[in-house]
Amino acid sequence: MSSPLLEVRDLRTQFTTREGVVKAVDGVSFELHAGETLGIVGESGCGKSVTALSIMRLVPRPGRIVGGQVLFEGRDLAKLSDAQMQEVRGESIAMIFQDPMTSLNPVFRVGWQVSEPLLLHRALPQAKALGEATTMLGRVGIPSPEARARDYPHHFSGGMRQRAMIAMGLTTTPPVLIADEPTTALDVTIQAQILDLLRNANREFGTATILITHNLGVVAGMCERVMVMYAGRIVESGPTVDVFAHPKHPYTWSLLRSIPRLDAERHEPLKPIEGMPPDLSALPAGCAFHPRCPFKIERCSRDVPALNRVGESQLAACWVTQSGVELKDA
Amino acid sequence: MITPLPIDVPEAPAPAAPGRTARGYWQEASERLRRNRIGVASGLVLLFFVLVAITSPLLAALFTQADPRHIDLLNTFLPPLSPHHILGTDDLGRDELTRMLYGAQVSMGIGFLSVGVALTVGAAVGLVAGYYGGLIDGLLMRFVDMILAVPAIFLFILMSILFKPNTITLALIIASVGWGSIARLVRGEVLSVRTREFMVATRSLGASDAGLILRHLLPNVLHVLIVFGSLYLGQVVLIEAALDFLGLGISPATPSWGNMLTNSETFFFHSSWLVIWPGVTIFVTVLAANLFGNAIRDAFDPRLR
Repeated sequence: MSSPLLEVRDLRTQFTTREGVVKAVDGVSFELHAGETLGIVGESGCGKSVTALSIMRLVPRPGRIVGGQVLFEGRDLAKLSDAQMQEVRGESIAMIFQDPMTSLNPVFRVGWQVSEPLLLHRALPQAKALGEATTMLGRVGIPSPEARARDYPHHFSGGMRQRAMIAMGLTTTPPVLIADEPTTALDVTIQAQILDLLRNANREFGTATILITHNLGVVAGMCERVMVMYAGRIVESGPTVDVFAHPKHPYTWSLLRSIPRLDAERHEPLKPIEGMPPDLSALPAGCAFHPRCPFKIERCSRDVPALNRVGESQLAACWVTQSGVELKDA
Repeated sequence: MITPLPIDVPEAPAPAAPGRTARGYWQEASERLRRNRIGVASGLVLLFFVLVAITSPLLAALFTQADPRHIDLLNTFLPPLSPHHILGTDDLGRDELTRMLYGAQVSMGIGFLSVGVALTVGAAVGLVAGYYGGLIDGLLMRFVDMILAVPAIFLFILMSILFKPNTITLALIIASVGWGSIARLVRGEVLSVRTREFMVATRSLGASDAGLILRHLLPNVLHVLIVFGSLYLGQVVLIEAALDFLGLGISPATPSWGNMLTNSETFFFHSSWLVIWPGVTIFVTVLAANLFGNAIRDAFDPRLR
């Protein structure tokens, strides 16, 4: 296997607040290979977005990366100067945000904004950059892009703004695109179009994509590999097919049972996960999921399980499955 | 060369009107301003005084053929509409109209210079304080609080004693207090703009701090500057006149509306026009500036829409 494009090693990001230290990302490691689509799923507040922002070094104050490495093509992004990091952002790694309504600057024409990465990184003349931006707007499915490039963001619908954001991310054809819940703020039909767009961008430009979502259906349709996060840690990772067919962590298992399925028996009730995600500044001892876990054993409340190989190609951080027990309905 | 990504793009809804042009914030705002009749009228009044100030030597040469400092003790206190002295003469026989024309230079010059300096400094301080926050913000804003905590008139008096006032120093003296309020306003606006996602999104494209502040924050707070600047112009004209009146402004040899008023107060019952011309002119200028400022605010402030 070739060396990974992006490798995150033991990343730790903490927020120091008056109530204590919040470990938003607590020892996350993963690899992203060229052209691959990796999904990161989990409940709200489990550290998905902070992981993405940490890679970009855009963690808002009082957040701080306290440990770990982010290796992009072998260079540790965590050690770059601010000026060097500005070169990486938008040129090597681009990011798409959740809320397309506020992600565009309201006082500038859309075409100009989409051309901004080209102005920042390629030093193209304004007219040429605008031309390329217009071309890109057309490619992401904005009708009559020449006219639309002269529009202001408030003339665009939510879906079109997200298309414009994607165009902005792709103008420099970065090797890595991080999409942080790109469809959460959009309605379902537009969601499907935006996901199609990301899939095609991945195919056409060979852009490796990290897709952050809390929608398991999106992961199933988009991602070759998936990582499940809980309380700032990765609890399970592996090829999407295997993880969905044979979840090896009780959290993944519970998540999958809590979504409606087309092939379910009629009237079969959905099974929510009992309880709430833990307070990140006061994690329970042992496995962070054990208070909500239907399979917990005595050891779970004592030792933190490491992310170890279980089965063919999956990793899971669970004492129960690591001891060879299958997860089944009680 | 364009290969569209193979996506089913649903048929775009037909544009609202063929030939529809995208109208931005600035176009819409300036159109709202043009529709405001009082605003346009007061703007024209200000424009008139600006033009007078710029062309005052030319106008004097054309209409009065007099030097504003030319003393003619044989023709003191001539009433308005006297031959060669349309607005009369003062206690030293100087032509009142000529002095009014040259006085516009002082009032408008100080007005615009002072507004310009106060806006530039205030915007810079407000942007930096709001963008960086933390210690920088604390230090800068406490300094602003300090300046604004002292009654402005004392600062003016103190500085007028320390620095010999001429047009430029007087403008700077007035601006040295005015920037504080602007910095506060701009900082407040920056704090609200800063939290919007496009700031992070733009940083994620590789923009530097300076790029973000100048290219993204500044245009978003520009409306604050425009509105405050136009309202502040009236204040500056009034402050300048008041300082002249107190004898802390422009030296009486240079005609300014303020010192013409001072000079003539003792003759109010004797030759009231010497009070009326500068007094009414200051009043009209300040009123026009305030009305224009209000019109600008109505047109540009996004919260009033």
